[in-house]
Amino acid sequence: MPLQLSPDRWSNAENYREVFRRERFARFLVNSALLATVSATSSLVVSALAGYGFAKFRFPGRDVLFFAIVGILMVPFQSVVVPLYLWVNRLGLLDTYLGILAPDLVSVFGVFLMRQAIEAVPDDYLAAARIEGCNEWAVFWRVVVPAVAPALATLAIIKFMWTWNEFFWPLVVVNSPAMKTVTLGLIGFTNMYFIEYNLVTAAAVLSVLPILIIFLVLQKWVVQAAVMTGLKG
Amino acid sequence: MGRWARLVLPRTYMDRQRRAGFLFVLPAVAYFTAVYFVPLVESLVGSFYRTLPGGASRFVGLRLYELVFTDSAFWNSVWNTVKLLALSVPATVVLALAVALGLDRLTLRWRSLWAAMYFVPFAVSLVAAALIWQWIYDPVYGVLNHALSLVGLRPQQWLQSLDEVLPSLALVNVWARLGFDTMIFLAALQAIPREYDEAAEIDGATARQRLRHVTLPLLNPHILMVCILELIFNFKIFDQVYATTQGGPAGASQTIIPLLYDTAFKYFRLGEASVMAVFVFAVLLAVTLVQWRIFRKPVEY
Repeated sequence: MPLQLSPDRWSNAENYREVFRRERFARFLVNSALLATVSATSSLVVSALAGYGFAKFRFPGRDVLFFAIVGILMVPFQSVVVPLYLWVNRLGLLDTYLGILAPDLVSVFGVFLMRQAIEAVPDDYLAAARIEGCNEWAVFWRVVVPAVAPALATLAIIKFMWTWNEFFWPLVVVNSPAMKTVTLGLIGFTNMYFIEYNLVTAAAVLSVLPILIIFLVLQKWVVQAAVMTGLKG
Repeated sequence: MGRWARLVLPRTYMDRQRRAGFLFVLPAVAYFTAVYFVPLVESLVGSFYRTLPGGASRFVGLRLYELVFTDSAFWNSVWNTVKLLALSVPATVVLALAVALGLDRLTLRWRSLWAAMYFVPFAVSLVAAALIWQWIYDPVYGVLNHALSLVGLRPQQWLQSLDEVLPSLALVNVWARLGFDTMIFLAALQAIPREYDEAAEIDGATARQRLRHVTLPLLNPHILMVCILELIFNFKIFDQVYATTQGGPAGASQTIIPLLYDTAFKYFRLGEASVMAVFVFAVLLAVTLVQWRIFRKPVEY
């Protein structure tokens, strides 16, 4: 059989239609978008708060706590997955959005990134706001958050992408088709004996598309994100 | 303890500041305690207990460790992981170094083109990438065998062959990581002052000598860092294996994390899976400690 690299007709969308017919792929896309958005948001809030606390305050145990959190970077997720699964099961969260999100709500990288970014905010800005009568909560929202907006954008993009591409944990906690994410949906088109490559590739393209759109729209921030993760490992 | 009491009941302005700082980090600390620290301890404890049918568990000491460490399937997966590391880590590092050295001499335009290419594996999920690679590798419909046939070579079985499955998966990993590593090397190269290279050139060193005695020694810490990052990435391989070979054929691509997954969530032997979890943690901890040891000495240009 001669191999043909270009399609017969460029307007042929039959494979894409079949992807949506065969599996609830639209639902998977919505699930992934929802999960990634929530995890990016929660990650932003918690990381920025912690970053401010670690960067601009002194309190007993601060450095120990920070190093403990950074130390998590060397704990592979697979080392905690069994107890985590048992907890999610006990709490009745298997096969729920909250259960899928549980380990993805905050990432160590986010806390680290925000601490670095907030450390660079001049103390004078904070002092000025305090003299003007802001309490710490107001200083955080009115001075710190606007000052580190670029780092926040970077973190949001990275976290969205990580959750979107997450595979191991959803595989563990998801049972029903309605709760599947895009990555789980992808392997639905394969089995050991026969693989319909036309559907697999169409689905793979669909899974990459949202990320690609984010790239095009937020190009400037993405470059920064890539450089940062590249340098930080 | 007085200073802890004053976190709860602040008396002075400084007390209030301390409490504010503590409250700001509290959500993150609580979250990581619940999701990482507690489960990590539970994994350790769980590796000494056997779950009985019906849900009760019994303390069995090191019995589960004995069970796992005498299991040939476990050692097969460790051996496969080591083979995968040996195949992909040196290849990725050497290639990335070569590309970075090349890009370092090119103009900004070319470098940004590479940066754009680097985004592709950065953005695509490993699952989607692995499935596309599976298509490329397909013995009948794949592009790779088609290319072989064009130059008159015999078709190969790739992912379906006992001998070729690990090299094939290694190639996917090289592809997935090349851009990332290149970026690290490129950033490091551009941080080296040009004067060193120029000084060596004036002294009459050839390009090859300059590379060997000036550039590479200065890059040493970055090479080591990338090696360790790649070691960790390849050691933890799961998505690619699960999406394509599922450890097959005949266990030839069963690596450690997929085995852990099967043990825990296919056969529900949670105790044995906990032993593997402890093993994985111990190995990565050792790698990280070695890394710290070596990196303690900073390099000065």
